[in-house]
Amino acid sequence: VATNDERIAAYAEAMFSVVRTEGTEAEVEDELFRFARALEANDELRQALSDSQIPASRRQQIVEDLLGEKASAATVALVSMAVGAGRGRDLPAMIDELVKMSAAQANKEVAEVRSAIDLDDEQRARLTEALEKATGKAVDLKVVVDPSVMGGIVATVGDTVIDGSLRTRLEQLKSAF
Amino acid sequence: MRLRILLTGGAVAALAVLGGTGVAGAQEEEEEPEISHASEECIEILEQGGEVDDCQEAPSLILPATNEIVWGAISFAAVVFLLYKFAWPGLKKGLEDRSAKIRDDLEEAERARAEAESVLEEYKGQLADARNEAARIIDEARQTADSLRSDLQAKAESDIAEMRQRAAADVEAAKAQATQDLKSEVARIAVGATEMLVKKNLDRDTQTHLVEDYIAQVSSRN
Repeated sequence: VATNDERIAAYAEAMFSVVRTEGTEAEVEDELFRFARALEANDELRQALSDSQIPASRRQQIVEDLLGEKASAATVALVSMAVGAGRGRDLPAMIDELVKMSAAQANKEVAEVRSAIDLDDEQRARLTEALEKATGKAVDLKVVVDPSVMGGIVATVGDTVIDGSLRTRLEQLKSAF
Repeated sequence: MRLRILLTGGAVAALAVLGGTGVAGAQEEEEEPEISHASEECIEILEQGGEVDDCQEAPSLILPATNEIVWGAISFAAVVFLLYKFAWPGLKKGLEDRSAKIRDDLEEAERARAEAESVLEEYKGQLADARNEAARIIDEARQTADSLRSDLQAKAESDIAEMRQRAAADVEAAKAQATQDLKSEVARIAVGATEMLVKKNLDRDTQTHLVEDYIAQVSSRN
């Protein structure tokens, strides 16, 4: 019997193969990454998608209702596959593993960027360049729109966190009293 | 001994009574010839031409008749002889025994007194020892009490000092906690107010500006 980590790695590898085969790696990875973060932030949704009492078809229907028009078909299919197989709870870990595999394939490291607003391509390119310069590593930028940041950006590359968010500044202000 | 004395005394008394009775009886027996003798003498006096008063000479009120003296002396001598012969040895022995007994009693009393004095001296000695011991114990107890009192006083003072110190520390801690709580509350209010202001002023341009600042800041890092 495989351990949970082995199972997650196996699912991630399978999903990575599908994404690579489809040829829309960047887009699907981004969508999956955002969905994983949304799933982490929403306990109710995570509970619903991993509840074995709810029939698989019903859980898959929830996924399609949520992502159907906003995400690519490959993204919807992959998420639906994992949820249908009863692995909804492990989906964020699987997607993280998938993103790491993809980045490693290109000798890059995942840079998780949380921003209060979405970034345009030009901003992403400049941010990627800045992060690569700051960390000395080639990075694969994954942007997550997170209103809790309030303003600015928090970037995490491996163990390095570069925090320029208003939330953190306010916290620093509070602790300075 | 006492019985013998009593018997001797009884015998003497009986003799005395009998002797007395004998004398009296003799007097009664001799009164008749005396009276007749006196009557004869009176008759002679009267016959010689004397008066009646001459023959009525009263007997002496002090001196008894000669025969009474003789019989009395004989009886007395007999009583004295009997007393000396029979009663005196018993009395003497009784007196001697009594003297010996009194002497023995006195000696015994003297011995008892001496013994009592000895015991008394011994008791006095023991009493003195006991007093000394009691005084020593009292002294020791007093010293112990003094020491205990000093210890208790020192401990009480130490406890009071510790309690004061602890109370002062508690007050300081409470003050520090209150100050910290106040600071935290002030910070919470201030930061809350700041957050509200920031959120209110966070329009798209400001957000973009923040992103650009961040990119520039990261770019300048090494």
